Amino acid sequence: MNYIVMECHPGYAILLDEAGIFCKAANLNYEVGQTVKDPVLMKSAPEKAKARSSKWLRSGIAAVAACCIIFLGLGYYQEFVKTYSSIYLSINPQVQMELNRHGDVTRLTGTNEDGRTLLAGYEPESRDKVEVADELIDRAIEMGFLSEGGQVSISLDCPDEVLFEEYGVELREGITAYFDGRIVIDVTITDHRSSAPEGTQVSDEPPAEAAEQPQTPAGSQTPSQPQTPSQPQTPSQPQTPSQPQTPSQPQTPPTGSEGSNYGDTNYDDGGSNYSEGDDGSDDNDDGDDGGNSGYDDGGNSGYDD
Amino acid sequence: MQKGQNEHQLIHRVNAAKINVEEADQLIRDYMPFIRTETGKFLKRPPVEGRDDELGIAMMAFYEAIGGYSKERGAFLSYAAMLIRSRLIDNVRKEQKHTYDVSMDAPLGDEDTTLADVLADSRNEQEERLMREATREEIAELVAQMKGFGVELSDVADNCPRQQRTLEACRKALQYARENPALLDELLRTGKLPISSLSAGSGAERKTLERHRKYMVALLLIYTNGFDILRGHLTQIMKGVTAK
Repeated sequence: MNYIVMECHPGYAILLDEAGIFCKAANLNYEVGQTVKDPVLMKSAPEKAKARSSKWLRSGIAAVAACCIIFLGLGYYQEFVKTYSSIYLSINPQVQMELNRHGDVTRLTGTNEDGRTLLAGYEPESRDKVEVADELIDRAIEMGFLSEGGQVSISLDCPDEVLFEEYGVELREGITAYFDGRIVIDVTITDHRSSAPEGTQVSDEPPAEAAEQPQTPAGSQTPSQPQTPSQPQTPSQPQTPSQPQTPSQPQTPPTGSEGSNYGDTNYDDGGSNYSEGDDGSDDNDDGDDGGNSGYDDGGNSGYDD
Repeated sequence: MQKGQNEHQLIHRVNAAKINVEEADQLIRDYMPFIRTETGKFLKRPPVEGRDDELGIAMMAFYEAIGGYSKERGAFLSYAAMLIRSRLIDNVRKEQKHTYDVSMDAPLGDEDTTLADVLADSRNEQEERLMREATREEIAELVAQMKGFGVELSDVADNCPRQQRTLEACRKALQYARENPALLDELLRTGKLPISSLSAGSGAERKTLERHRKYMVALLLIYTNGFDILRGHLTQIMKGVTAK
């Protein structure tokens, strides 16, 4: 390619090539207007290196900033957005309250038709779970879903026992205090994980552990057959209450109050005693009379009825 | 102490030379002994001015050192010496590629004649001298017109697009201006580059044209009347360019 020498300086010459590019080159005794070939073109390496390094620096800063944003965003999501636990509120309307790690309500979902009706147009004034529960119960009363003496079942889905107890106590105390003197309602608290199938039948059936406990008094050997009254012909089951030939069986008189309040008793104490449930069963195995007799009779009488 | 002061003064001059062409020229003139010494170290003999291309290359390297110097690079003269040596080595490598080319000055047989003597000289020295003179006049006129736009050739060389895409955008704008001579007239009349019209008409990005304004001014001026030789030289400028 030919170059025209456009300008000469001591250290360099400015050349114009045939493609219209002006460039600097070593001035090899050139004269202005001269046409030259194969000049020694000046390199702009230092500027390029600078530009490259600044580009790398900018890219690095951008990458670090992006990482920080991702970490912060992830942290925020984990702490404040991601559902960590849930509260299932059953009046008849059933509502699921999703809570973040801090116990704030992040989402409300109506899990049945009445639940959706209850939540229609509802805007929680705060994200506190107790206040939201109070407001929802208030709304249920206003909308006629709950009346004096009605039952509110709260099922907690928590990842650990400590949180379950903390939320259970908090909700029980908060709701009781809120409605104290205004209306009498029965609040029951259960663990959603272990009692999930029965959670929606709180007012109709006894809980699972209640159904399993009646056989415990003398029949620790046959814990799976509590309904023996219907099987009097089985001699291998002397623990059945309907068998008069079993004198060793403790004759605990059936107390009507225990029988009828069976479910209520369990539910009422469920929140505070839940973690003690295992202890209770241990007691049963050990043959604690008080507990066993009560459950046995109550359960049997209840089922016979 | 004295050495430190001198170094400080030199850095001050280098910084001034970065932004001022005359300062740079003067600095090179003042440091010619240093440049000659460094070239001599490389050649292992004193360089001859006007004969050794190495001296011209060393002067260019010194100018490059002015442009690329920063405090982080240490003492300026050490940096300049390193750059001079690097450029001279590059030149040697480049020359080595042509080692097997036949030299016009190589002697032919036993006689004292060279290939250049045998081959007929197709160039007409007289014609060439006239042509060079005419070209020089055109360049002088171009430089004078550019001054009216506040543009110098050094600025244009520094402002010249490096990337092919940018170059093509500028060429598109030039092509559009050539097809619409009114734009060239407007440039001469107003003394301003009609960037909006060029951008809208050619499809080249306005920002690209603004960034390379000085280069565009020089190119458009060449395509106004009176620069036939320079235009004739630009044989490849419009290759593959089609305006929008």
